[in-house]
Amino acid sequence: MSGKLTVMNPVGYPPRVTGKGMAPPLESLEGKTVFLVDIGFENSDNFIRQLHGWMADHRPDVRTEVVRWRDQHQPDPELCERIKAEGDAAIIGVGT
Amino acid sequence: MMALESEYGVPAVAVHVNVFERIVANVARANGMPKARQAFIPTPIFNQPPAVLRAYVEGDDPVHKRPFMAGVLDSLTRPLDPEDLHGMTWDRSTPRLVEPDTEESLQRLFRENRWTDYLPIVLPTEERVKAMLEGTSRRPDEVVGKMRPTIGTEFWEFTVEKVAVNAVMAGADPSHFPVVLALASTGDTARQSSMSSMGNMVVVNGPIRNEIGMNSGIGALGPYNHANSAIGRAFGLASQNLQGGSVPGVSYGGSQGNNFSYNSCTFAENEEASPWAPYHVQYGFDKDESAVTVFYVWGNVWSEHLRTYWQEKLVAMICGLEPSMGMTLCLDPIVAREFVERGFDTKEKLAEWIHENAKIPARRYFDHIMLTMMRELWEAGIEPWASYRKAPPDELIPMYESDRINVVVVGGQTNGQWSVFMGSPMRMKFRSAPGPTASVDAWR
Repeated sequence: MSGKLTVMNPVGYPPRVTGKGMAPPLESLEGKTVFLVDIGFENSDNFIRQLHGWMADHRPDVRTEVVRWRDQHQPDPELCERIKAEGDAAIIGVGT
Repeated sequence: MMALESEYGVPAVAVHVNVFERIVANVARANGMPKARQAFIPTPIFNQPPAVLRAYVEGDDPVHKRPFMAGVLDSLTRPLDPEDLHGMTWDRSTPRLVEPDTEESLQRLFRENRWTDYLPIVLPTEERVKAMLEGTSRRPDEVVGKMRPTIGTEFWEFTVEKVAVNAVMAGADPSHFPVVLALASTGDTARQSSMSSMGNMVVVNGPIRNEIGMNSGIGALGPYNHANSAIGRAFGLASQNLQGGSVPGVSYGGSQGNNFSYNSCTFAENEEASPWAPYHVQYGFDKDESAVTVFYVWGNVWSEHLRTYWQEKLVAMICGLEPSMGMTLCLDPIVAREFVERGFDTKEKLAEWIHENAKIPARRYFDHIMLTMMRELWEAGIEPWASYRKAPPDELIPMYESDRINVVVVGGQTNGQWSVFMGSPMRMKFRSAPGPTASVDAWR
């Protein structure tokens, strides 16, 4: 068949991408509280524990607290509210 | 993580394993935060001892090629560009037609765009799609549902016409189309991105099986029937295209992949030769209604007949699988009757026997990656998982709950063959529609 064919596109309809702004950075971490969030995948608790140890050893000027995300596939508004109220930043892991 | 940044105003850096670099970038872009703070550690993290994890923390970020912790801490204090504080908003559109070209070029274009399973497809001309639409009374522009490759990514929407395009590509007939639409309506995807290489099995029940000539007898699970082959392939192509792709390393993470994905092991239950109620009747349908069920499966093991030590063998086969995610027995009618002769006059009794007898020690039950996804069940005190979690290491725990043990009768009675599939219909968080079984009649 040498003529040109018109065919239909098989791809679904994507949602509009709505921009989500990043939070402003901190000027410094000194004296700040950083939440270390275990997202709940296998071994992420142990990884966060090692990260916690590293912070204690190398950045004693930064207060850290280990917390767990309730369900890695769902929002955890309670934890987010707490981090916002009591913390200045967060490190979350480990996404797989 | 992105919600913590955008909704709560807290700077947050997400740590990932490096093999998911492109997946992470894809998700961040689709969520309107393309420069989300990210850091990476080497793969693997599963099953690694503390010393290895500590080395990851003290080592380099394999993606950004700098000390991991320096990068993490720097990302929390590094100034941002003004546009990063607002994110990026844009529209994405899908044209209805592809630029006209020759058949050879279009076959190549579809392959290069990853719209196929790398086998030739039937090009979806407007005439062919129109003919496919004759297989349903639904309007072409009617929205069928939405789909996504995994939790956390965005849902893409699709219409009857879009499903028809994919059904044409797969080589389906218009008579198959209501089954394909029913599959699409579940929101189940045959291209789940799971790194576990999860695949699918599709079981069709009711009068539609014989109306469209599906195979439930000899070779039903193999490539010996047009409807079985085309419906399964259509489900796969529709899934990858309607959800916005299934690209290894970008939107698919299965380490080995799954051969079931070629046609989702699609077949009809042999209701005529079965001594039990059809599968869809177990889930509230009348036997004269037509329905389809999507199972998520990883693989299967094989045996034949119920011989002298059948109980021992069945338990051993099941206990060699991974627990908790469910299992499905596919029995030739000969074996189904052998179970009836042993007192199992319903599928439910057989499921209960398996629940009571196929058990493993708690220590092994919880030595399993999937259970990290069920943590919230026992932490919320939901039984039986809350009690299982408290069990001593050697206490025996059922491999599967009764409602996760499925029985389907299929086969042509040339042998008393039976298979145990690891997997079950998803009844929790992966689906966008409730219930394990969907009506086909609703899409005629």
